Amino acid sequence: MKWLILGPEIYVLAVAAVFLILSMMRPNGRRDFSAALFLAGLGVAVTLATVRLEGSLLYGAYRADLFSQVFKGLLSMGFFLVVCLCSRLNGIQEKRHPEFYFLLATCTLGMMLLVSSLELLTMYVALELTSYSLYALVPLRSGGGQQMEAGIKYFLTGIATSALMLFGLASLFAATQTTYISELALKLPGLLNTPMAFIGLLLTLCGFFFKLALFPFHVWAPSVYQGAANQVTAFVATATKVTAMAMLARLVSMSDGNTSLAHVLIALAIISMTYGNLVALVQKDFKRLLAYSAIAHAGYALIGILSMNPTGYAAAVFYALAYLAMTFTCFLVVVKVASDGRDLAIVQLAGLHRRSPLLAMALMVGVFSLGGIPPTIGFTGKFLVFTAAMQRGYFLLVLIAMINVVVSLYYYIQVVKAAFLLEPDEELPRINLSAPATILTVVMVVVIVMGGIFPRYLFQLAGAAVQALP
Amino acid sequence: MSVELAGFPYLSAILLSCVVGLLVILFIPRERETLVKGVSLVFSGIALALSIYVYCAYDRAHGGLQFVERLRWVEPLGIHYFNGADGFNLPLILLTGIVHFTGVLTMWELRGRVKEFFAFAFVLVLGVFGFFMSMDLFFLFVWYDVSLFPMYPLIAIWGTTRKEYGALKLFLYLLAGSALVLPGIVYLAVASGLQTFDILALMQPGALTPGQQKFAFVLFYLGFGILAGVWPFHTWSPVGHVAAPTSVSMIHAGVLMKVGAFGILRVAIFLCPLGWEYWAPVMAVLATIGIVYGVFVGLTQTDLKYVVAYSSVSHMGIVGLGLSTITAEGLNGAIFQMFAHGIMTALLFSSLGYIYDKTHTKLIPDLGGMSRVMPVASGYFIVAALAGMGVPGFASFWAEVTVFISALKVYPALGALAICALVLSALYMLRVVQRTFYGPRNERYANLPDVSFSLGLPRMILVTAMLLFGLFPRLMLDLVQTAVIPFMNGLPR
Repeated sequence: MKWLILGPEIYVLAVAAVFLILSMMRPNGRRDFSAALFLAGLGVAVTLATVRLEGSLLYGAYRADLFSQVFKGLLSMGFFLVVCLCSRLNGIQEKRHPEFYFLLATCTLGMMLLVSSLELLTMYVALELTSYSLYALVPLRSGGGQQMEAGIKYFLTGIATSALMLFGLASLFAATQTTYISELALKLPGLLNTPMAFIGLLLTLCGFFFKLALFPFHVWAPSVYQGAANQVTAFVATATKVTAMAMLARLVSMSDGNTSLAHVLIALAIISMTYGNLVALVQKDFKRLLAYSAIAHAGYALIGILSMNPTGYAAAVFYALAYLAMTFTCFLVVVKVASDGRDLAIVQLAGLHRRSPLLAMALMVGVFSLGGIPPTIGFTGKFLVFTAAMQRGYFLLVLIAMINVVVSLYYYIQVVKAAFLLEPDEELPRINLSAPATILTVVMVVVIVMGGIFPRYLFQLAGAAVQALP
Repeated sequence: MSVELAGFPYLSAILLSCVVGLLVILFIPRERETLVKGVSLVFSGIALALSIYVYCAYDRAHGGLQFVERLRWVEPLGIHYFNGADGFNLPLILLTGIVHFTGVLTMWELRGRVKEFFAFAFVLVLGVFGFFMSMDLFFLFVWYDVSLFPMYPLIAIWGTTRKEYGALKLFLYLLAGSALVLPGIVYLAVASGLQTFDILALMQPGALTPGQQKFAFVLFYLGFGILAGVWPFHTWSPVGHVAAPTSVSMIHAGVLMKVGAFGILRVAIFLCPLGWEYWAPVMAVLATIGIVYGVFVGLTQTDLKYVVAYSSVSHMGIVGLGLSTITAEGLNGAIFQMFAHGIMTALLFSSLGYIYDKTHTKLIPDLGGMSRVMPVASGYFIVAALAGMGVPGFASFWAEVTVFISALKVYPALGALAICALVLSALYMLRVVQRTFYGPRNERYANLPDVSFSLGLPRMILVTAMLLFGLFPRLMLDLVQTAVIPFMNGLPR
């Protein structure tokens, strides 16, 4: 049964079909949420059941290996976690709820296909499936006009980078006469000194730089983070970033340690970190701040990938996982505090330590993890990334990244300060978390802290996963 | 997971008592304030008892690293959970135990957000304990940061003068220090070719080339030096000390600055001895400037807490001077000074905290004649001030004498300058004491109660520790000697 390796994909496709049918029925928010929660939870189980499967389909264009399966596991978890946030989906009209879940499912499907595809055109098609779902998800929010601006910005920049990427794919094909990654990995290292292959690879990477919001493809991030519904932003900020990190690792690993490519990536990483952190310093809106912090984190994650050694790729995988956990925790707080679906300014976090001590603690842990303070999973991720870079002798890069970390702590501490120190102008009611929400919050805090204290197994898993890379 | 244990893991038990204390506090409802304080007292008491036990049970005849606990943590990266006690860190572990325990007692009257305060305090102390006992660079760094981040809420929430500014400045300065330390430790692990963070393995002669040592030494010296209050990176420290609530000032000036100095010793000097020899003159100059600067700036302060804070800068300069002599006496004195200064500053801040709690001022001109209002509380401050001046009979006397003798041998000019500055500091301390505690009484404060026995208890403990090690300095010097002599003999010459 070699089609069994497509289990997660088929399952998510079925989930999408279920919501397509539901979208034709009378709107019922509770029903949609319960269905989505159940199906997404089952999806995690299905995906984890197939983690150890390996095999390839369609003449090697599609392959399931530990690398792809680990990322599918992460994606299904990301999907499930985001659905967990939707118990009160106030940002989106009730009749649109089934469509919302449908698009989430198709987007997840696209990303699952993406991490398994080993052929450039398959990859492109999967990427477009992801992108088009997101183009529709972003402006789905009700009210305002902000979401339209965000949607159009995302769409225009998205199709522009798609065009760039297509051009890159064409150049790669022209240079190597193949679209299969396994063959590219053999031919490309020798050809990378020719402009066509080099530019081709670089432009191909651009498609994923866009998803990762790496400078100079970051322009959409602040508007989309702020403009999209909180749950959609949570999805964009976690799942798509994870996929982008996976795909960059896969594509860069074809270049076999090419130094000129590394230099370009170093420049991008430095600019992205510095730009993201500096602009984040002056942000007032929490989601916007997270957008700029995401731009900075894109830079940190790229450091692992550009090191182009096994530690580096493993570090990138670990970082993806860590990033998923800590960003999600921040969005969990956003969704719970802004329960009516509005945007959340940083000052609106004031008094959180009294309104909900648990959320305040989760926020502190999440934000300190983003800031890279031990013992959190975010620190371990940075540490691994820096170790990988140091193994290649990029001392200055590590130093610059560390200086960036210190700069970033300034704005992270402002968030902590708002939650623990500031008092709101008027007395705000306590935030009562339901039992499942409390458990989810505690689990996220435990994952972040334990991932920082006992990184051993996660790191071994990441190390095993990257052995599947060319 | 391979585990290497020499008997019961006393060192981990110290850490565990902090972790358990923290967890227990997290599960106590926030209204039960007395219970929170009681739990803190019990667990800090356990940690203190364990650290006293480890201090006494260390086999001095045998020397070396004892109470070793070692297990592999992340194998491919060479990270070990590796704790051990030797003559270098035992005094500091003891110091941390004492200061935390007395700190809890000092904060017995805290009102408002009690639970969070003691929870953060446990995190802070956990980091400090871990830092002192860790023999693995990775864990060393983790503990270092763990001890730093609670400082921000502790100061920003419960502090006083310009607390948010002080907290932010301190936090960013200290993390900037860690931004130099982290690349440094990764550099050592990778550049040595060993891919390990084990300090003992990296200490082997030949693990690092002279060039690498000289380079890495700078990173560690600057990184940890910020925390140690080395001039010109000390500016966070007076602001932070002044802003912090009493027990945090105690831990902060008493213990946390030692974390920096100990980091210089354990990482920079241990792993980069050639860098140490190369940069020692620079260290000596900076340390001396720190001593002189601390004294002169302290002279002009009107805020009592600033006076104490600047005296810390100058006393930490003495530690730096001791470390820069590259002699056994210098190291010995430096470590003794870390301990003595820790106890002394804790006492100064603790008694000052009491006076501030009652009078709500710490400005010298506002006070006056306090010794007639609260004779016992004033007594504690005066005792600590005398200790700070290096009066014989207190622990700091021996520490300072040892450092200055060795400094005079190695850097005669700098040593002489530092001694002159200290004489001057004695003068200004006396003037502060005279203006605050004697002279005309400020009638506004005439009816304030003196310190009660229970609140006086922490100060009693600190005074006892100071006198004990002042009258019997060999209790400590002999212990430190067991680590210093083999280390100095093993230096590449």
